[in-house]
Amino acid sequence: MKKEMISFFLNGESIEVYADPASSLLHLLREKLDLYGTKEGCGQGECGACTVLLDNLPVNSCLIPVGKVKNRTVLTIEGLSVGEEYHPLQKAFVEEGAVQCGFCSPGMIMSAYALLKQNPQPSAMEVKRAISGNLCRCSGYKQIETAVAAAAEKLKAEGDSG
Amino acid sequence: MSYLVAENLEQALTMLQEAGKGSRIIAGATDLFLQELPANLIDINAVPEMLVISETEYSLEIGAAVTHTAASQSSLICAKATALAEASAQVGSPQIRNIGTIGGNVVNAAPAADAAVALVALGAKAVIINSKKIMREEPVENLYRHYNQSTIESGKEMIIKFMIENNAGILGSAFLRFAARQSLCLPMVNAAAWVNIENDLLKEVRLVLAPVKPAPTRLKETEKRLIGAPLTAETWRLAGDAATEEVTVRGSLLRCSAQYRRHLVGVLAERVIAKAVKAACERKEGEQR
Repeated sequence: MKKEMISFFLNGESIEVYADPASSLLHLLREKLDLYGTKEGCGQGECGACTVLLDNLPVNSCLIPVGKVKNRTVLTIEGLSVGEEYHPLQKAFVEEGAVQCGFCSPGMIMSAYALLKQNPQPSAMEVKRAISGNLCRCSGYKQIETAVAAAAEKLKAEGDSG
Repeated sequence: MSYLVAENLEQALTMLQEAGKGSRIIAGATDLFLQELPANLIDINAVPEMLVISETEYSLEIGAAVTHTAASQSSLICAKATALAEASAQVGSPQIRNIGTIGGNVVNAAPAADAAVALVALGAKAVIINSKKIMREEPVENLYRHYNQSTIESGKEMIIKFMIENNAGILGSAFLRFAARQSLCLPMVNAAAWVNIENDLLKEVRLVLAPVKPAPTRLKETEKRLIGAPLTAETWRLAGDAATEEVTVRGSLLRCSAQYRRHLVGVLAERVIAKAVKAACERKEGEQR
């Protein structure tokens, strides 16, 4: 498809990019905008490694045509940290050993981030459901679930004290 | 070559008229995006007329661009079209449900698409409009041409919304699926049922199983045998036995053998009728309180 100028909000900033509206958001992020945090796993919406938030909801960026994000808000893993300061979810993933090969981590964290925004104190089952669209082939999920719960605690404590 | 985002129905229809050959209406596009895309795409995901979830005196109306997430979280759909809420909650994964739509689930025409199976059990009608603004209504079960092929021509027409008649009576519906995993997995079998109860007997029943044929399939022989039956475990078993007799199923190398699928048809038919009756009774109790 012919390229056109597409503007949207990416990680809090308004951007304009000249791109094919029928190409995938994933490829735009990785190949044109140099945001390599979002991973390409299956490329078919099965693994969740490419999860980003579109208007605050997790979606598979490999299945999103760029034309769909016009004037909308996209948040990627790069948008979570503030400068050198990592987000509590990112820290919890490191501290709880939830990262082994690391390929699923950005997608997992984005799904978990969307959950905690909507539901700051999720039950164990709600955490499982929130990451049910993200495959991990190393960890067995346990440490990931623990990390999400730990981050929820931390965020709550920060909220209470702040 | 273009990707157009329609802001309202009027605009979508104008785009459809002007785009002409090689154009196609898209919604979530989660299935379509993996295939070769047509030259001109008209994205209707944000058309307000197609995002409604509302109730009139006569029917429940659900916009075709309502996502599975929105459908599964709508209190109106949970109460009045329980089978659809339960089905939408189990489509694909959270990421797919956030973008995939009810209308797309039907027009994509997969034989065992969860939401479509529920809509057929609920007796839903699709309201369709073409580029010349001529409207028609069609029961969802009539929208299937072949395997994975809808009668809806997405280059010329589109579903605006689904209508589910507001019957009087003690009504309930339910949906069940069985798959190797709970997420990101096509069902070996899925089932939906709708019941109307009178004097503690089944007055009307719709029972849908898939994949049995290219379209979600009502088991009309089984339905007939259930009419007038009491609300007992024996009736649920009858549903399972009759359903197993009625269907011809195929096996699939990836999902399960024909023998296992037939077994599952019986199990799910039994459970889904029981679940729909339970939903009807609970709803009645809730209304009486």
